[in-house]
Amino acid sequence: MIVGPATRKIFLPAILPVLGAGMLLLPVMSSAAGAGQKIEKHFTVKGRPVVMIQNVADGRIEVKSWKNSEVVVSASQPSDKVGLDMEQADDRIDVIANILDTSAPQSELSENIQLTVPEQTELQIKTQTGLIYVEQVTGDMKLESIAGDVHLKEVSGYIIVHTTGGSFVCTQCSGKLDFNTISGSAQILQPSLKSVNLITTTGNILFDGDFIRTGIYTMKSGRGLVEVRFSGTDSFDLNAQTSSGTVDNRAEAFLKPDTHGFRRSASKYAKGLFGTVGNGLAKVELSSFSGTVRILKRD
Amino acid sequence: MQCKDVAQAIEQEGFAPLPEAARGHVAGCAVCSSLLADFESIVAAAAQLPSEVEPHSRVWVVLRAQLEAEKIIREPQLAVAAEKSPWWQGFAELLRGRVLAVSAVAVVMIFAAGYFQMSHREPLTAAVDGAPAGTASQPVAAEPFAAAALSLDQEEQSLAPVQTVSTGGATNASPVDNSLRENLATLNTFIKECRKRLQEDPNDQVARDYLAAAYQQKAEILAAMMERGRSVN
Repeated sequence: MIVGPATRKIFLPAILPVLGAGMLLLPVMSSAAGAGQKIEKHFTVKGRPVVMIQNVADGRIEVKSWKNSEVVVSASQPSDKVGLDMEQADDRIDVIANILDTSAPQSELSENIQLTVPEQTELQIKTQTGLIYVEQVTGDMKLESIAGDVHLKEVSGYIIVHTTGGSFVCTQCSGKLDFNTISGSAQILQPSLKSVNLITTTGNILFDGDFIRTGIYTMKSGRGLVEVRFSGTDSFDLNAQTSSGTVDNRAEAFLKPDTHGFRRSASKYAKGLFGTVGNGLAKVELSSFSGTVRILKRD
Repeated sequence: MQCKDVAQAIEQEGFAPLPEAARGHVAGCAVCSSLLADFESIVAAAAQLPSEVEPHSRVWVVLRAQLEAEKIIREPQLAVAAEKSPWWQGFAELLRGRVLAVSAVAVVMIFAAGYFQMSHREPLTAAVDGAPAGTASQPVAAEPFAAAALSLDQEEQSLAPVQTVSTGGATNASPVDNSLRENLATLNTFIKECRKRLQEDPNDQVARDYLAAAYQQKAEILAAMMERGRSVN
């Protein structure tokens, strides 16, 4: 079809903007529909938001922060077998991923969620499997997973992490930490935590960092290794006990008898180690039922 | 009468009915009539709430395990009978609901003390036959957390068919279901180890603490399995 110059002159200015807008909207329109696509939503918040994610499907959840007062939720899913509901009530944002077709194959039942939040945000995340990763967020958080690992980096607040089999790595975390798992392990690296409570039944625990004065640190592993690497400038009272495992004291040069407080001795049924490093300002309690408790000064 | 007097009158005498003097003020005061309307809608909403909210049975188990771990209550140093449901379970039924949350601690302590005294007169035998945690088939003496163990074992047994249906059997189970099952098996083995250790050394406090923690974890994992069964179904 040949269009005359007069027609072109009349129609082109009107059609071109429409075509241009259509090209721009194409990705957005396709994101909202169909399987194997990406969904993105923006929520403007006023103060410190509370973001709750419940992922009944499998998949990775990643949370990072930015300076804007806006929460951005983007999710990708391989199929339409998983539904994603999002709602905002003032500064509370709920994200729920639900399985729509339970007979679908496992590979189609996943939902990866990426979250960008203001630096000061409270989080409640509950997932089944897949990594939970949180970076540079300040605020209380409760993270629960069955089989997925939890990795935190530069996170601050009252941090509660519960897994069934997932392991936990916390790098440069501060505030208070409570971790409970059955077979997962925990690594606490370069922390500034003033309260730590780590419990695992069969996993290992590694604490590599400083003990803050007046801090309380409890680490328990039923069958695994509990290893604490402290610095020469640390100051803490130590109580290490095991029922049928071993206490491996590699810090004899730094550990002196407790000069203050109770005169304690290990139960005659348990092997124990009591002592003080520095002035004993923090309190460190380590135990393993049948594994090993190891204490050493790091290089 | 002023607004603050109305607030005081409501606080002291209630608003059903509103005192005569306050009623006159409220009729001509938008703020007070709004306040009164708010109170009335709160009371109406409260009346809609269910009077009893039934807590999960694991609340009771965890509570008991915690009380025993902290030595607030003690298990009897005698054996318990095989087929009988333990007495405290029946009592727990009576305590379900909001009352449980408020008064369980006090009541448990009273009954534990009473039971401890009674048990010196009337020996009982253990009800742990065929339990998944591998309890002994013979009556067991000085079994720590026996009541919690029994309750959890019963819950575990009742869960087995639900799990099989919801996951289509172990072979087709998802990684999450497998993880739950494996961790439950791990816990059961660990519980056995702790109990064995406590049979050897009943005063091993470290073993006792780990056993209490393992029972708490078992209660949580059973609850997670139940919740998952419900959501998948």
